Amino acid sequence: MNNAIEVHDLLYRAGKTFEIKDLDLHVPTGSIYGFLGPNGSGKTTTIRLVLGLLRPRAGRISVLGRSMAADAPSVLARTGYVPEQPHLDPTLTVRETLRFQAAFYPTWDRTWAEQLLRSFDLDERLPFGRLSKGQKGKVMMLLALAQRPELLVLDEPTDGLDPVVRRDMLTALVDYVSQREATVFISSHLVHELERICDWVGVMDNGRLITELPMDQFKSGIKRLHVAEAPPHVSETPFALLARESNGGASESWIVRGWEPEMAVYFEGIGASLQTVIDLDLEEGFVELLRTFRAPRA
Amino acid sequence: MYNRGSRILIATLLAAPPLLGQTTAELRARADSLAREWRQANALADLQDTLRHLARRSGQDTISVGALIILANSSPLPLQEAAAQAWPVIERLYGPAAQAIAEHPIVIQAVDPDTAVDRPPVGEGLQVPWNLSIGDLTRLLQSRVDFGPVDPGLREWLGGSPLLGSDPAPRRAQVYVQLVTAPSIAVRRCFLGAVDACRDALSLSDAPDLLTRWYDPAERRALAMQMFHLRPGANQTRVLSCKSGNDSACLDLLASSPPGTIARPLDYGARFTLVEQALHMGGRDAFLRLLDAKPRDVEDRLAAVAGVGVDSLIAHWLGEIRAARPVPADLPPWGTWVALGWMGVFAAFGLGSSRWRVS
Amino acid sequence: MFGVILYSQWKWSRLIIGLGTVAGFGLPILSVQSAARTGDQPLQAGDLLQTIQSWGALYPVLAAALAVLVAIATWAPDHRGRHVHALSLPLPRWRYALLRFGAGLVLLAPPILAVLIGAGLATALAAIPAGLQGYPVALAARFALAVGVGYAVFFAISAGTTRTASAILLVIGALIVVQVVARVANVDLDLVTRLQILFVNWPGPLAIFTGRWMLIDV
Repeated sequence: MNNAIEVHDLLYRAGKTFEIKDLDLHVPTGSIYGFLGPNGSGKTTTIRLVLGLLRPRAGRISVLGRSMAADAPSVLARTGYVPEQPHLDPTLTVRETLRFQAAFYPTWDRTWAEQLLRSFDLDERLPFGRLSKGQKGKVMMLLALAQRPELLVLDEPTDGLDPVVRRDMLTALVDYVSQREATVFISSHLVHELERICDWVGVMDNGRLITELPMDQFKSGIKRLHVAEAPPHVSETPFALLARESNGGASESWIVRGWEPEMAVYFEGIGASLQTVIDLDLEEGFVELLRTFRAPRA
Repeated sequence: MYNRGSRILIATLLAAPPLLGQTTAELRARADSLAREWRQANALADLQDTLRHLARRSGQDTISVGALIILANSSPLPLQEAAAQAWPVIERLYGPAAQAIAEHPIVIQAVDPDTAVDRPPVGEGLQVPWNLSIGDLTRLLQSRVDFGPVDPGLREWLGGSPLLGSDPAPRRAQVYVQLVTAPSIAVRRCFLGAVDACRDALSLSDAPDLLTRWYDPAERRALAMQMFHLRPGANQTRVLSCKSGNDSACLDLLASSPPGTIARPLDYGARFTLVEQALHMGGRDAFLRLLDAKPRDVEDRLAAVAGVGVDSLIAHWLGEIRAARPVPADLPPWGTWVALGWMGVFAAFGLGSSRWRVS
Repeated sequence: MFGVILYSQWKWSRLIIGLGTVAGFGLPILSVQSAARTGDQPLQAGDLLQTIQSWGALYPVLAAALAVLVAIATWAPDHRGRHVHALSLPLPRWRYALLRFGAGLVLLAPPILAVLIGAGLATALAAIPAGLQGYPVALAARFALAVGVGYAVFFAISAGTTRTASAILLVIGALIVVQVVARVANVDLDLVTRLQILFVNWPGPLAIFTGRWMLIDV
């Protein structure tokens, strides 16, 4: 088994306007896969499809080598899930919630759960419904981690949380991954946060997966080139030209992917001059990627 | 022009010679002769009535099965079939007495069941829609048999018809409930086995202090309040005195009510079951003895019907009533299984709760 | 698993169960006490039966109320979280629903026992007139069946999706429309009575609620 999650030709429709079509997703086993996309792009829907909470119209989904949703119980026994919205019984206290969850998972690690309870500084006597947003997020993360899953699926787990809480949760996540070779599938629109922990990235927009590749390739691959005297039309390029924008005068900015330094000679060949090569960080690259995906095709 | 009485009188007078100057023996002989003439005139008048009725019914059917005779207009009503079913039941119920119904045909006027069609005015006989089923018609015939006049004392005591027919079990069950729930000390004592109390409760005894034997002081007060409290014409001083607990005042109030207005502790159903018991014990000719025209009080009549003393009859009756204790039947025996079944059905629906519910 | 589900449902329905238990215990006792005359006189049979019958109408009402409220409380925690937590647990949906159903039944046991104990006490302490007898066990058993059937019906309704509820409402709406059209067209069609007979008369599902509920009878 190479991929913890495999999705092939997935088709899903909700209402008259939203559609996920031709989705092919591959989350390598043992990776931390960052699932990026703006709000409303279909990230949560994709996660729910993967976990068998939604039924696709077409396509195949395989998680940890088993077919979803036919084998959902056996898959979910090995999967920790932190949803976007709090989903737990608001009347149960933190302690009671832990007890509830532990009853369903034979792999529940009581010692580690107590450890996380202390490190997250949670009052076990408070009902879940009376916790703050950050505290609820911590409880959900605690539940997902304490069952010692092979796969962690986290749907915007730090969204709306303060930096301290975000740091605590991500630290716990990284600790877990370092202890155990688990696969993490984490969605977020906070690009800079994923940049630090993910080794794979997939970008989703408007129900389509734009790209899916290792993080270092994503980060190093997208560059902004300042080019002067470039002809209006260019033929085949050795790199992927994602966008061209005028900077005023004869100067242009080119957004490219797959840049290698030796490719600079190409500009000599077309009578242009390469002035600067700027590395884009993940967020800038993400934005450019979306922009090019959304731009009408020439 | 002339009614039946006038015709008899005229016929008698025309046949009577002058009475003056007769000896005692001659007068006696004359009286006997007059009596004979009177009987013959009566018979002539009866014959005239019958012929008149037959003439009026020219074009009507006469259905005759055994002693059961039915006169009806031509119609689709299945009278022959119903009579064929009714007669064996009547014969079985009433024994030799059933033959007496031949003298009292049942007259039926079959009418169109369509309520939009005008019906003929109600004349002699019973109006029956001609789409009545054979079963219903059979039961109707059984309930309308006429044995002629019943002893007035028996009718007054019974408070209704002595006709037999329906299954006695539900009736006995109702009497059991009466014995248990009637607000009467006599009825309660009767239920517990006191035969004399049963005689009082069944209105068989004619003791002058029946009211005090039927109802205790609290019950008399309740009865008097029910009958006289805030009623116009009642002596309100006496009413208030009774209400405050003066039993004499209550008795005076009840005694002042017209005869027959004070409710008897047991109803027609209870007395009828006693009659049924007597008939059952008396054998095949029992109903004949019930209809015996010779005047006698009700106790004697019932004892004669049953063939045993009244106390024995009452003891047997009480035993039958106790044995007919109704079973509270609001939940049928299979009701538990049906309820459990529905529980299972709806639980199965719930267990089929869909996984596809997140949106 | 059953224990934690039972506990979570208990937290949602403890007030209902508590009140239902008190009501179930008190109802039989009140019904007999209210028929007693002043001055320690023995109970009059006719009055007693009438009073018992009047109070008896409250048993099916209590059974239905308990059934509806506990069934709603059964699914309340899941409805609150839109079933996401339940569906992400590692067990088949039907098994989870079965655990929920069983927990609800267990929680309904105290009110049923309360009716049994209350009825037993009421008939034991009352001076029942000759010819009448108490039926505490039969009454409690019937109460239990009514609660069970009602709970199962509303459990199934609560477990349904919005689509299921819409379908049910659509069917009801269609029946009403058909009835109205039939009436306008002067067609002899009484759907309401037929449905009533189907559901409320034996062997319909709601027949257990009908009839007389007599703690004391002949």
